[in-house]
Amino acid sequence: MVNKMMFVLLKQVVKKPFTNPFPVKHAPKNVTELIEKVQKGEVKINPPVPLPEEGFRGKIHYDPERCIGCQLCIKVCPADAMEWIPELRKIRHYVSRCMFCQLCVDICPGKKFPGEEKNVKALSMSNDFLLADYDKYSDNLIEEPPEAKEKGL
Amino acid sequence: MTKSQYYIPIGPIHPALKEPIRVEAKVEGEKIVEVDVKRGFAHRGIEYMGMKRNAIQALYLSERICGICSISHPYAFVVGSEKALGIEAPPRAQYIRTIIAELERIHSHILWLGVVAHEVGFDSLLFWTWKGREKVLDVLELISGNRINYSMYMIGGVRRDLKESHIKALKEMIDYYRIFNQEMKNLFLADPVYKARTRGVAQLSKEMALKVNAVGPTARAAGLRMDIRQDIPYDAYADIEVRGIVPQDIVGEVYGDAYDATLVRIYEIDQSVDIIEYCIDNLPEGKIMAIPNYVVLLSKIKRTKGEGIGAHEAPRGEVIHYFKYDGTRDGPAVWKVVAPSYNNINSWAPLLLGAEVADIPVVVAYIDPCMCCNDRIAVVRDSSGKIVDSTTLHRMAVEKTMRIKKELGVKE
Amino acid sequence: MTPNILAYAFAFPVLGIFLGLVYKGIDRRVSARLTSRIGPPIRQPFWDVGKLLLKETVVPENAISWLFNAMPLIALASSMTLLLYIPFGVLKAPLEGYGDLIVVLYLLTLQSLAMAIGGFASGSPFSSVGAQREMVLMMSYEMPLATVIVGFALIYRSFSLTTIASTPVWSIVGPIAGLGVIMLFIALLIVTPAELAKLPFDIAEAETEIAEGMLAEYSGRNLALFYLSDAVRGFAMAALEVVLFIPFTLSSIFNLNLTGASLYTVEALWFLFKVLVVYLLAVTLVRTSFARFRIEQASRIFWVYVNIIALVGLALVWMGV
Repeated sequence: MVNKMMFVLLKQVVKKPFTNPFPVKHAPKNVTELIEKVQKGEVKINPPVPLPEEGFRGKIHYDPERCIGCQLCIKVCPADAMEWIPELRKIRHYVSRCMFCQLCVDICPGKKFPGEEKNVKALSMSNDFLLADYDKYSDNLIEEPPEAKEKGL
Repeated sequence: MTKSQYYIPIGPIHPALKEPIRVEAKVEGEKIVEVDVKRGFAHRGIEYMGMKRNAIQALYLSERICGICSISHPYAFVVGSEKALGIEAPPRAQYIRTIIAELERIHSHILWLGVVAHEVGFDSLLFWTWKGREKVLDVLELISGNRINYSMYMIGGVRRDLKESHIKALKEMIDYYRIFNQEMKNLFLADPVYKARTRGVAQLSKEMALKVNAVGPTARAAGLRMDIRQDIPYDAYADIEVRGIVPQDIVGEVYGDAYDATLVRIYEIDQSVDIIEYCIDNLPEGKIMAIPNYVVLLSKIKRTKGEGIGAHEAPRGEVIHYFKYDGTRDGPAVWKVVAPSYNNINSWAPLLLGAEVADIPVVVAYIDPCMCCNDRIAVVRDSSGKIVDSTTLHRMAVEKTMRIKKELGVKE
Repeated sequence: MTPNILAYAFAFPVLGIFLGLVYKGIDRRVSARLTSRIGPPIRQPFWDVGKLLLKETVVPENAISWLFNAMPLIALASSMTLLLYIPFGVLKAPLEGYGDLIVVLYLLTLQSLAMAIGGFASGSPFSSVGAQREMVLMMSYEMPLATVIVGFALIYRSFSLTTIASTPVWSIVGPIAGLGVIMLFIALLIVTPAELAKLPFDIAEAETEIAEGMLAEYSGRNLALFYLSDAVRGFAMAALEVVLFIPFTLSSIFNLNLTGASLYTVEALWFLFKVLVVYLLAVTLVRTSFARFRIEQASRIFWVYVNIIALVGLALVWMGV
């Protein structure tokens, strides 16, 4: 009743578990309290999995100031996650539909503010990946110009 | 209390299956005397969706055809599209594509090894192999930005270049997998219980493999030396002499069973590591895209008339995409996908007949089935068993939508 | 029956359930650490049982419902009774003198039998296949198990577990018989996972093949009872092995002169420690590092190899005594 696997497994006992731990060991009774404690430094939480230093494709960040309204991102988006707001000539991005392919970021021409040498893109990939939410239309999952919300467009 | 014959339904939801398919087996004691395989539970109509979108969008849809190997379908897509459009990717892009495809083969094969270990009840080996798989996923995340859907390919090139840091990580990974694969050979191939469970199970003879059109590692395990990378070389494979790995090369004899499938897959990981090493040592300099601007690319697609077939040796077998661009729109007018699991599932019925109940998970797993790849068509029958044609189905769907809209009070 | 025995008879099962669940928790934790996972807290089995007890108990439509509901009770009762025959260290077994090793053999069988009958009664094809497998497996491992018990009867000229526990087996056997006893121990260690329906012999409950087999249709309270009986049986089996083969008391090793309460506490802890070691080696490590056999392979292993080991052991014991 002895095989090679046994030795591999026995070696693993002394090593640290490979599992990525949860932020805290047990689910807290009150999440806001926990967050406050973490900010005060009373509780330490396990950090999330480290990301690669550059080039991670996370939640898309939209800067409406730089958007020129060319609609190219709508043209290439495979998931139809971009919506055109004709009144503002800007777009709205639904993160819950997004498939993080970065095509819109590649194609975005961007805009040059006075005094800048190169165009800066309106769309960019951020490092955010903790996007779970109960509501797919929550504020966290929609990127839009602030005027759109104010005017209710 | 006991009956002599039982009817055992495996699927569409069953612990042995990771995706929906149905195997209906009649068993006598432990022996299977009658078997029927029913597929078509995961049809999503991706080809139709692709024909309504432009080529760049369809390329990223094709990445979502398969749940595990996200680069095999785009690879066949770009190779086929480039043939149809008459453009060629720059050499550096070709090499990068090959590296990504081989990285994916490593992760897919290790995933399969873990799954098959789980199917024979060897859960600790499942955890151990998947722990080793993290390394290649981390490298893929570093290169492409995500762990599973890489979004690297583009018609006429790749979208991201390999940097020095990536090459360093790749070299480190190569050293890691040389050692890891050696250990894997010890744990899988030398384990007495694993051998007892897989030797002689799912035994596919050469003739039978040809008869059921088996492809990929399944056919190679049966002793057929067939591999798209060897038969129709493309991209960097044309510079490398790839030879399909068959069990007779390694141990001198062929059984064609699940044990041989394990053997072939483990040695293919070695082969992939070698290919990656060659590619990074001989990586050409230069551009990575033939047409860097997507708008220009789309307008070229719109102007082009042509057709092409792209084939790629995916981890599970050959993936074939057929395209026709008719010069009126910027997407494919016809897009047809042939996935390897479709051929390989043909082998289930003959292999299960006469096998034992305990062998069902091994037979099901040994081809590494991907149901969402293989479901290309869904057939609907009415209560009398007659096939409902597509126009009727469409009309019924519209009627139902109207009815639901009325019931819910949706305003147009 | 004295009041003393009655008190034991009530306290032991409660203690048995507690210890069985604690050992199951430790088993899960260690198994997780072996596979490089963090693992559940040790109290997790208690939560599991509590949750199952709260859940609805479903009886399938085409099950024979009285048989289906009775079998979990019989399984738990048999493993509880089994516990009453096992002397805890220096404590005497509560039911000492009311039949011994032979009854233990029957009680071990009864529990598996209850599961098999429950499987047949649930009317599902998966359960039926599982129950058939359990019957085949039971027939295979009964023979080596019986051989081990006959071997002990040969040495002690008695089936009483208390007699066996009070005089360590190693002190009364010669070198040849000692070798025989070691072989019997090996045979019993191989039988253990089959008896407890653990990998590599959990063929009757194979998850990927027949979806937990006999237990497929069980839910709620019935499943909780099976879970408890499984936990208690795991502890009892390991305790039985300790009583038979590792009976050394701490005071006899270190020549301690303890009396009264301190003796009982120290010996009880020492006994639990020995059981834990046997449990981890014979159940946890084996179940983590092996794949599942097919039923005919398992049968062959028991009928041929384990039987040969056990019978050679028996022959050596017979020659040595």
